[in-house]
Amino acid sequence: MKLIETDVLVIGAGPAGSSTAKHAALNGAEVILIDKKSEIGSPKRCAEGVSKEGLKKLGIEPNSRWVTKELSGVRLISPNGTDVWMKEDQVKLPEAGYILERKVFDKFMAMDAARAGATIMIKTLARGMRKDYEGYIVSCESMGEDFEIKAKIVVGADGPESRVGRWGGLKTAVKPKNMESGIQFEMVGLEMEDPDVIEFYFGSVAPGGYAWIFPKGDDIANVGLGIVSTVTDKSAYEHLVEFVKNCPATQNAQPVELNVGGDPVGGMTKNLVKDSLMIVGDAAGHVNPLTGGGIITALEAGMYAGEVAAAAVKEDNYTEKRLKEYQEICKIEIGDSFDKYLKTKDYLLSLSDSDLDSIAAAFQDTEFENISTKELIKLLIKVSPKALLKLGKLF
Amino acid sequence: MIVKEYCMYCGECAGVCPHCLIEVRETSIDFNEEGCKDCGICIQVCPVKALAKED
Repeated sequence: MKLIETDVLVIGAGPAGSSTAKHAALNGAEVILIDKKSEIGSPKRCAEGVSKEGLKKLGIEPNSRWVTKELSGVRLISPNGTDVWMKEDQVKLPEAGYILERKVFDKFMAMDAARAGATIMIKTLARGMRKDYEGYIVSCESMGEDFEIKAKIVVGADGPESRVGRWGGLKTAVKPKNMESGIQFEMVGLEMEDPDVIEFYFGSVAPGGYAWIFPKGDDIANVGLGIVSTVTDKSAYEHLVEFVKNCPATQNAQPVELNVGGDPVGGMTKNLVKDSLMIVGDAAGHVNPLTGGGIITALEAGMYAGEVAAAAVKEDNYTEKRLKEYQEICKIEIGDSFDKYLKTKDYLLSLSDSDLDSIAAAFQDTEFENISTKELIKLLIKVSPKALLKLGKLF
Repeated sequence: MIVKEYCMYCGECAGVCPHCLIEVRETSIDFNEEGCKDCGICIQVCPVKALAKED
């Protein structure tokens, strides 16, 4: 059987995998990036929102080919329709951002990896792997051909289904209560109150999560929701159909695309490395447990993974101890804040629809200056004595 | 496992399978039926309810 050798094999060409491949290659490693799909970035499994601040931190310049909408505000809607508007012309919104076209964005990220020197193999499925004295041998299949790739370091960037980590002995299986079932229509003909504002709907409309409208054009938007299957008898699809039927903005809109996918919202996986093995992105729980957002953290974690992998290759040291540098960086830069967001999410999910309505009403009477996820939680603590008890020490 | 025609191959079932028995390809799914303990978690989480146990 054909055997290809490389320093670093990255499995999965989403933002995490492409970022890992790019930064490993930029730092001198020989890199192969494989993806099972025939088109990188398609189908999308995400609402496509990113913050400007996040892109800036990573040195990624917004590009008109993949930015579909620049946002100017946020609207939060409670179960009884009480809404809270936060617009950039009235308050500072440091996390305001863009809605992407992921099908284009993900390809751009993979192209960046290729330009940095990584070899990309599409329509290539990793089927298993075995330990070798110096790394792993991964069994692959592409267009009917079986072959193997021998790598000093394997990076699992294979999304929420995350099998690579488990093949190497990492505990990445997600418990059902921590896996949000996401579903979304891309729709046309929406009647939004402000097409530059993203909308979040809370309460029993999406048990265990929330519903969203992320505008991509004046009458185009991603309309979706995430639910936790352990707290509802209906499927995510049934909840979405109901939401679309009842929401004034979407009642007359038409779907042009349906997207589904799991979102691991249980926080960062405890162990991200083993000898010759790293995991990154959704496979490593690099998803904000409160918002479900993960594009920026995937890119960021990929950067750390790529840099550490390349340094390990230079030092000819692929031990768990060496690769733990990546895990430690992730814990400080990503994991610690996720622990707080996870506790906040658990608190929010304990609230009834009427609790949420009361909080929204209190928010309506509040003057905002600067709104970020953290500031909103601080405000929640201010208006709700129960939140103060549960979250006061965290924020 | 019965995989209904409208399965969208999102892989959520594979992510929650405690025994790593599900391989999701671009347009197909393979279940390792021999190792399956019938826990039903994969059926429960499917966003479109495309999975069902065989009678």
